[in-house]
Amino acid sequence: MSAEMPDPLGRENEELRQEVRTAREAAEITAQLVAEQFEETERILALFQSANAQREAVLNAASRISIIAADKEGRITLFNRGAEGMLGYAAAEVLGGRTPLDFHLRTEIVARCEELGQIVGEAVEGPGLFMQYARRQMSGEQEWTYVRKDGSHIQVSMSVTGIHSGDGELGGFLCAAMDITHLKRQEERLRQAMTVAESANRTKTTFLANMSHELRTPLNAIIGYSEMLEEEAGDAGLGGFVEDLRKIHTAGKHLLALINDVLDLSKIEAGKVELFVESFSVASMIDDVASTIRPLIEKKENRLEIKVAEGLGTMKSDLMRTRQILFNLLSNAAKFTEKGTITIEAFADASSREEQIVFRVRDTGIGMSPEQIARIFQPFVQADSTTTRKFGGTGLGLTISRTFCRMMGGEVAVESREGHGSTFTVTLPQEVKSKREALEGGGAAERLKPREKASTPRGPNTVLVIDDDPAVHELLANYLEKDGFDVVTASSGEEGIRLALELRPTVITLDILMPGMDGWAVLRALKSNPDTSQIPVVIITIEENRNLGFTLGASDFLVKPVSHLELFDTLRKYKRVSVTGRILVVEDEEETRNLLVRLIRKEGWDVAEAENGRVALDRIAERKPDLIFLDLMMPVMDGFEFVKEIRNREEYQLIPVVVVTAKDLTPEERQWLNGNVYQVFKKGSYNRSELMRQVRELVLRHVSPRPEAGKDVKRGG
Amino acid sequence: MPKILLVEDNEMNRDMLSRRLVRREFEVVTAATGLEAIEKARSLRPDLILMDLSLPDVDGWEATRRIKGAAETAGIPVIALTAHAMAGDREKALEAGANDYDTKPVEFDRLIQKITTLLGDARRA
Ligand SMILES: Nc1ncnc2c1ncn2[C@@H]1O[C@H](COP(=O)(O)OP(=O)(O)O)[C@@H](O)[C@H]1O
Ligand SMILES: [Mg+2]
Repeated sequence: MSAEMPDPLGRENEELRQEVRTAREAAEITAQLVAEQFEETERILALFQSANAQREAVLNAASRISIIAADKEGRITLFNRGAEGMLGYAAAEVLGGRTPLDFHLRTEIVARCEELGQIVGEAVEGPGLFMQYARRQMSGEQEWTYVRKDGSHIQVSMSVTGIHSGDGELGGFLCAAMDITHLKRQEERLRQAMTVAESANRTKTTFLANMSHELRTPLNAIIGYSEMLEEEAGDAGLGGFVEDLRKIHTAGKHLLALINDVLDLSKIEAGKVELFVESFSVASMIDDVASTIRPLIEKKENRLEIKVAEGLGTMKSDLMRTRQILFNLLSNAAKFTEKGTITIEAFADASSREEQIVFRVRDTGIGMSPEQIARIFQPFVQADSTTTRKFGGTGLGLTISRTFCRMMGGEVAVESREGHGSTFTVTLPQEVKSKREALEGGGAAERLKPREKASTPRGPNTVLVIDDDPAVHELLANYLEKDGFDVVTASSGEEGIRLALELRPTVITLDILMPGMDGWAVLRALKSNPDTSQIPVVIITIEENRNLGFTLGASDFLVKPVSHLELFDTLRKYKRVSVTGRILVVEDEEETRNLLVRLIRKEGWDVAEAENGRVALDRIAERKPDLIFLDLMMPVMDGFEFVKEIRNREEYQLIPVVVVTAKDLTPEERQWLNGNVYQVFKKGSYNRSELMRQVRELVLRHVSPRPEAGKDVKRGG
Repeated sequence: MPKILLVEDNEMNRDMLSRRLVRREFEVVTAATGLEAIEKARSLRPDLILMDLSLPDVDGWEATRRIKGAAETAGIPVIALTAHAMAGDREKALEAGANDYDTKPVEFDRLIQKITTLLGDARRA
């Protein structure tokens, strides 16, 4: 199989998504234009309030916009040419006699009256609706349905404004509307296309699952017969056949492994993997895996070492999946190592709140470069394109292993150096929970008034809550605000995506069952946009389909009703700690300096910059930084000299320095740095998110937190 | 010589497995459907049953349940053979009363080990 497997459906999806995006942008631009036209018209209206003839001329010039004005009682006083065209009535027919309500769907009016009534706390009816909008200046555009004279319906985007008399009294209102029927139709068409594409995707997955199952039956026979014949040929002294029969057998088993991987992946994609949690002894599970893998390891003259911590006892987890994860890692180790040592370790880690079991698979094989490491967890991707030819495989093992790990509430991490071997570390909870039990019931979710979307200034930690239920908004906001988060709420998927783009929240909570765009679609949209794909999404829903969630890129999964404790536990790991600290970046290369500065600033820290050691000393004199990032090779004053300078001054001695350099250090240099700086990063050997993770950790370690955030500060390491 | 009832609807797999079992000195009788399995369990009294799960007429779970539900055959150990593909198969098999399970395609040596263990247990019981 090639490393880049073409995925026509994926591409089609992507194209559709692109189309939707374009359409949405077009819609936004149109809406903007409408708003501008309205404003312009209103401005002119005000200007010519007395000059009747001119006013008429202006109104009629706006022929694509329907403008209808009415007095306090709702009697129509103005009906422009645009209104005539849009609604099919002549101005003479409606002036004086009708009210703008006559052009609306009755049910829609009733619903809006009710909605507004709840907000203002008094009954609203009839033309009073528009007067209320005008009085409260809730004139912002809304979508409405207009009913034309011939009974047909059109969708309009309409705004309501008050008409004030000379003395400032509200004397009537004005409805300005624009036909958006064609836009709506286009939106609907695209939505349908999306649905079709998604269901095709599901069909594909189901087909794949069935197909793989069908493939296995004949394969069964091939593997079984060849193995049997191999034995029989051996017994009958037909040594010449044995080798060929073994080849058939091996090829059959390989094919089976491929089918199993593809099947697993398609099941994961279809959200059909269920955990089966049982209690088992860690040591005997490892023995079991080891005995299966040993022949594979010894074939390449490798040694297998097993180190299980004393008294490790049992764990509660999905035995088959746990075994499969370890088997995958061990067979990779065997595949990429020759005449070396492969070690599997297991021990308990009680340092976190929940006891965890750590499995570590270490090899002394070919290792990987940082670029390769960044790619290997993606499906069908291998470290490089020659891997398949040399070592076989599908590039699915790690993808599957990681998904299983995450489903069980664990993680898999890798460390590797090219030419020196690799270490994969799997962490799983000692007790995997197959279903989270909420500690508190859902009774607290009493219905509350919709939250006001006040645009108060926000701190460093904002949670965007996407849920159609206002009671959930209220409940989560209550909890989260107590935990020091700022909360912004969205009542629909579309609104959520827009707010995510606009606010870049620290973390998003997402409901699945929502009218219109459901949570899965929202998650997909968020993850497919590079601007939002990094924001962790926690799914909070009544639907127990965490697997699909994790496949689509969710970070956590909570089942409603959610307790305060559970929510806090889940969200606090995404919390950014506020710091007042200042970081000084010393680097002569402008591009690298800008990059670092930008990355650091994005995290909300204060940054100063300097292009060489001399300038850096000036900056320090201005204000002492809490942490310094330092390049070594710079003009005027290089990094070594700079470090000597600051280490000689008592007041600067304790500032931690982190060296980021492209220089190949001599052993002497390295040793000298070891005594004088905190850490050395090699340029190019880190990727951005890794660097930022490290930076964050360093800052947390060295920069003092803001006093008021003190209670929440957690320091790692 | 212990007698094994091999229940498997796929002819090739039935042939292959039974021949391999005979080579390991078991006496093998076969059944191709669930009902046939129930009937042969009663009439032939095998020492152990290897039960495929997807079978025509009565499936392997139901057949196991009935065999384990009838006093005369309840004591016969059953090993369910599940297709790895189907999540939940093995749990359902154990629920139905199977004593053990193995996945298909079988790793023959492992299967033999399971058979030997169960036969030993049965003898001791
Ligand atoms: N222990 C290891 N040593 C070196 N490279 C590894 C190791 N484990 C995984 N890799 C790299 O990661 C890639 C993906 O691994 P995996 O998902 O298991 O797929 P596969 O083994 O089928 O190629 C491998 O092709 C290999 O390039
Ligand atoms: Mg692999």
